[in-house]
Amino acid sequence: MKKILIVEDEKMLAEMYHDRFVQAGFKIVMAYSAEEGIKIALKEKPDLILLDILLPRENGIGFLAKLRQNPKIASTKVVAFSNYDDPTTRKEAMEFGVKEYLIKTNYTPQEIIKKIKTYLK
Amino acid sequence: MAFDIETINRLIVLFINAFGIFLGAWVLFANRKAALNRRFTLMTIAGLLWVNSAYLGFSSKDVSTAVALYKLNGISALLTALTFYYFFILSFLKEEEKHSLLNKIILLVIFLLICLTGFTDLVVKDVRWKEFGMEIIHGEYGGIAYYLFAFFFILLMAVWLIRKYFVLSIQEKQKTQYFFIGIILWMFFNIVFNTLIPLIFNTARYQHFGDYSIIFLLGFTAYAIVRRQLFGIKVLLTALLVVLIAILLLLNTLLFTENTPFQILNGIIFIVFLFFGYYLIKSVQTEIKRREELEELTSRLERVNVELATAYKKLERLDKAKTEFLSIASHQLRTPLTAVKGYISMMLEKIYGKPPKKMIKPLENIYASNERLIRLINSLLNISRIETGKIEMNLEKVSLEKLINDIFGDLKQAVEGKDIFLELKKTKEPLPEISVDKDKIRQAIMNILDNAIKYTERGGVTVKLKAVKQKLQIIISDTGEGMTGDEISNLFVSFTRGKAGVRMWTEGAGLGLYIAKKFAEMHNGKVWAESPGKGRGSTFYIELPIK
Repeated sequence: MKKILIVEDEKMLAEMYHDRFVQAGFKIVMAYSAEEGIKIALKEKPDLILLDILLPRENGIGFLAKLRQNPKIASTKVVAFSNYDDPTTRKEAMEFGVKEYLIKTNYTPQEIIKKIKTYLK
Repeated sequence: MAFDIETINRLIVLFINAFGIFLGAWVLFANRKAALNRRFTLMTIAGLLWVNSAYLGFSSKDVSTAVALYKLNGISALLTALTFYYFFILSFLKEEEKHSLLNKIILLVIFLLICLTGFTDLVVKDVRWKEFGMEIIHGEYGGIAYYLFAFFFILLMAVWLIRKYFVLSIQEKQKTQYFFIGIILWMFFNIVFNTLIPLIFNTARYQHFGDYSIIFLLGFTAYAIVRRQLFGIKVLLTALLVVLIAILLLLNTLLFTENTPFQILNGIIFIVFLFFGYYLIKSVQTEIKRREELEELTSRLERVNVELATAYKKLERLDKAKTEFLSIASHQLRTPLTAVKGYISMMLEKIYGKPPKKMIKPLENIYASNERLIRLINSLLNISRIETGKIEMNLEKVSLEKLINDIFGDLKQAVEGKDIFLELKKTKEPLPEISVDKDKIRQAIMNILDNAIKYTERGGVTVKLKAVKQKLQIIISDTGEGMTGDEISNLFVSFTRGKAGVRMWTEGAGLGLYIAKKFAEMHNGKVWAESPGKGRGSTFYIELPIK
């Protein structure tokens, strides 16, 4: 069973993705901020991180910088997903090696699962 | 007729009075409310009193009258200094408040000197009759105090004048040059006739000539105050020189040439000189005027440049703020739409159990409406980026066939709801992958397909791929509404829609085709439409270079 860390501060969306991903047969761990995300990533060693970009205090780009600096988790696959569609931010995320930068509103949870599965093969 | 010195003296005083009264009135009526003009007129009154009392004292026959007039003369000279001081610091230094202590000291000293002059014999002790007129006898200490004050006062004004002159702007300089000349002439004659000669030669023989020189100050200053358009000082000096030479020539002709033929010759020279002198002044004036115009234009250009730079910076800031606002606002709008989309899709996927049959259609409708809102926000964001030029290209190799099949997956629901077909015609030979921004080309094809499905009620939509020279064409044909030539020409314009769109459908903001066109153009491609006419379907072309 693949383990996925979802970093998402919006409670309603977090709950929704959690339900759908569990239903699809993933083991899900949740984090509601970048700081918490790093801690849980270190502890749980997920197969993939689904990362929101606009987070309280430190944003997703800050999370990526810390993740890539820590040798224990630096090579974790990350898919960024956000409704914040800013070309500069997108570019920064891509430079940190995210697999894709998805605009949440353009995908149903099912479609996101489909995307993720291609990266977990 | 022989002019004796007394007649000349009388005529000069008469002239100064007439001219002085004219200047005072001229300046006052030019702007009665301005403190500057009022102070000037007060200064003129004090100055005329000074000139007249000097003249009358000098030429009076009676000792006690002469003494009284000389006392009045001393007082009016002090009043002239006082009015001049206030006029000067207001008009020239423009720093009246800065010297409040000095203002008080000067006022106090002048007041003391006025008292000394008026009520004691310390300054004006007596007069004595000389062959040229009544000469003033000063009290030993009072006289020294009086002249020391005059000397230091003039020195202070001169220092201020010189110090201030060099920090003036070019425009201010021209105006003050007149004032400058007036003051210099006035100070010069005063130092020579009123201070140096009386002190060194101990005679008041020529003192009144110093007094008369105030007319230079009044004349030049009045002109600088009242006239907006001043002649440059070079023009003035040239004119003065020409007039001086002309007077000498005239005097030479009239007084010193006895021989008639020489007089005629000199007269001709005089007239020729006047003629050339006039043109000399004119040409100097023209040249200076041109230079000044050029300077004015240059400085105006500099000002405009500065204003432009500021405005540009402001615009840049606004533009940045607008872009950020749009990103954040669209994020805020998208979040609830994401939740609606996610939950409805999960209900339709039966994650929460099988919904009652009659609920399926409403759920699909909610889903479709939500999709429309999402598309609208995406379109608005895209349009804003296209129009501010803030859009980046992320090129990658893409197979159009695969991309179109993907898009078909997304459109399945829309097609099934309408009972029309949507098909991709297979090509005989495989087509090359091309380097494009996948998201943008996907959006362009999607928008055109969406449009075709929207306006097709029977039949369906066919997509063909075709290589033409170094280009790939995506040809989207439908069996729908069709268009007139007019409608086609309005198709790809922002915020407009074909007439069919207005009549049949009201959904969609008419932005999709415009975005498709702009995205194709970013790839050096193009988009166009053809239609054989109303009711006979339409064909849309997206053409992209093979790279």
